[in-house]
Amino acid sequence: MTDSLILGLSSGSACLATCGMVMFPYLMADSANVKRIAVDLSLFLITRLIIYAIMATLAWHFGQAVFKSPVVRNIVPGLLYIIFAVMLVWYSISKSRNPSCPAKMVKTVSNKRLVPIVLGLTNSLGFCPALFIILTKGSTERTLVQSYLAFLGFFVGSSLWFLPLPLAGRIRKKEVIKNIGILATGLAGVIFLIKGLTNIIGGIING
Amino acid sequence: MKKTKIIAGIFWAFLGLIVFIILFPGLNNFSVSVSKLPFMKINPRYTGGEKAYHLVAEKCTLDIRRPVFNGFLKESNSGFVQIDWRGDLPALINDSIDYNGDGEKDFFIQINRKNLKTDLKSFNPKVKDVVISTPTSYGWAVRVGLLKE
Amino acid sequence: MDNILKTTGMKKSLGKSLLYTLPMFLITFMFLTGGKPNFSDTASGIALLTVFILVNVLFFFMHFTGKTDKYRAVLFIVFALSLSYTLINNMLEVRKAMYFSQADILECKIPFCHLVIPMMILPAAFTKSIIFPGSIIGGFANISSMVVLWLVATLVLGRGFCSWGCFYGGWDDGFSRIRKRPVIKKINELWKWMPYAVLIMVILSAALTLMPTYCSWICPFKAVTEFEQVTSVESATKAGIFLSLFGGLVIVLPVMTKKRTQCSFLCPLGAINSLSNKITPFTVKIDKSACNECFKCVGVCPLYALSKEDIRSGKVSIFCSKCGKCMDACPQNAIHYGIKGVPSGTLKNFSRNLFLFVSYLFMAVFSAGSIINTFHGLLKFIF
Repeated sequence: MTDSLILGLSSGSACLATCGMVMFPYLMADSANVKRIAVDLSLFLITRLIIYAIMATLAWHFGQAVFKSPVVRNIVPGLLYIIFAVMLVWYSISKSRNPSCPAKMVKTVSNKRLVPIVLGLTNSLGFCPALFIILTKGSTERTLVQSYLAFLGFFVGSSLWFLPLPLAGRIRKKEVIKNIGILATGLAGVIFLIKGLTNIIGGIING
Repeated sequence: MKKTKIIAGIFWAFLGLIVFIILFPGLNNFSVSVSKLPFMKINPRYTGGEKAYHLVAEKCTLDIRRPVFNGFLKESNSGFVQIDWRGDLPALINDSIDYNGDGEKDFFIQINRKNLKTDLKSFNPKVKDVVISTPTSYGWAVRVGLLKE
Repeated sequence: MDNILKTTGMKKSLGKSLLYTLPMFLITFMFLTGGKPNFSDTASGIALLTVFILVNVLFFFMHFTGKTDKYRAVLFIVFALSLSYTLINNMLEVRKAMYFSQADILECKIPFCHLVIPMMILPAAFTKSIIFPGSIIGGFANISSMVVLWLVATLVLGRGFCSWGCFYGGWDDGFSRIRKRPVIKKINELWKWMPYAVLIMVILSAALTLMPTYCSWICPFKAVTEFEQVTSVESATKAGIFLSLFGGLVIVLPVMTKKRTQCSFLCPLGAINSLSNKITPFTVKIDKSACNECFKCVGVCPLYALSKEDIRSGKVSIFCSKCGKCMDACPQNAIHYGIKGVPSGTLKNFSRNLFLFVSYLFMAVFSAGSIINTFHGLLKFIF
């Protein structure tokens, strides 16, 4: 759970940097009403939690069906870790980094009550390298509970960044926070790159 | 206001000078004071935990420590128990250990000091594996992985 | 003529320089010898005398020539080399190897260094314990002494600790001085924030795993101090990371960029120290009335702490380690040591004298033990 929490915490900042300003006006439309903000934010987070729980279940069952032999169980996820980790590192160092936020599609939703749920859906289904890494991790866990815990760690880590969203307008030096967040995402990528390499080497030795 | 700021700045700088002059002669005393702060003790994950039982054999002693499950905010699900053998140890150590003091042996451990091989036979489902087995300056130490009670 | 006068503004006459060196001479004599120099062992006596003379001669030249960084760097680099020698020598004497074993960890015998401090904070607050297998008090490189030294030095010098107290900084500082001109001239500004990202990651990971993760997985200086015995794929990976980071950030990049890249792009303690720059009494100030915006200071700053915008705005950034390289390069004497609250351009000499005395005293006393030890070892080896 530790590494998924760290991944969530680091990639959450980059996610906020990309999506925060798209989501902020929708979640905080009637910012004078604190109760409304709390309800909308809770709906948004609960939607994400449910989606992640579904993903944890699917990923684990997929892993059980596909990664049967111990060698495959180490080497294939190891390769996947490396690919997604390189994507994560590339995102943090790329000069042409300008990903668009999938939550933009919320503009098409007319029912205001559904907005936080749609935002939660689009945000958690916006497949980024960090989510792919967690999917890989969930698919290789020994038990379903461990898969849930991995996703829970990722959910908690990434959600922490959304909690101060109501204060977003007042935060100074946003650019600095964004820069540090992007670099932290790259570092999380490096951690999983090493994890992938050790998985493969371990798999070859044990195989 | 400007003058006050200047005087305060210079005072702060001179204070720094005085602190530095007394720092090195007083380092031992300062360090002793800091070492007495409540958080200045090594985490049991590194020390191995407090001694729980002390057993005396003919030529050596055996210390069984309290199981360590320390985590950041709450106790961890997995931990270890450390056992220390001290004194004049035989080439082959054979011991059955009751780490939780319930009167039942939890595992049997055999250490071959010549080829550094350690074997564990578990009688308790909470006992997992040998985490560390190493010669030490006082004899031999073993950490056995545990699942929480 | 005006320019020449300004350039030599920090220079002092021979007599004045000697007078300014006298307090340092007396204090270092007291600290190094305890007031009673012991010459019973010839090698120890020669080592002590040589280091004492070296320390004071360098300080004298700082005043006599008006140059700061040039002489600071000599002691700083010697400090880094000798500390590594002392640590390695201690490891070889005690353990007959440069690596530490599992037994050393179990018996809490690992030497402590200041880079562990950021990782200690959260576990100390939440678990009321230190997550490092070292000695709290007594023994070689104990935790309490290092915490006291770092805390006091950081409160007084701020990030100045990184150029006047850190016994690792001299490594990349030394390598950054090898080439006359940099091969790589421009590096993306984004990387300046990397130490903060590393800081966040190591603080979190150390808290969650209760392990000093920076020491276990990242620290490049493991390559020149002590490291875990290679017994598994994991420990081999760690050794690979230590060596690659040391080779890349401490040797190759400093040589190519003429910058202290390990300190600029990796060190998490540097990130904490730079935050402490906000509260320290000493600072670096820009006298905008004297500055002709030649930006020589920007080019020579080894820590990417100065930009053209900083110079125009008259404020140095929080990354500044007060090494004095910019001041040595400034032809107008426009960038200078200052004291908080004192307007820039005023009390330049007073501020410099006070800062140099404080910071140099710390470095001289802190480094003397290991330099004497190294010199003593060299003498014994040669004769």
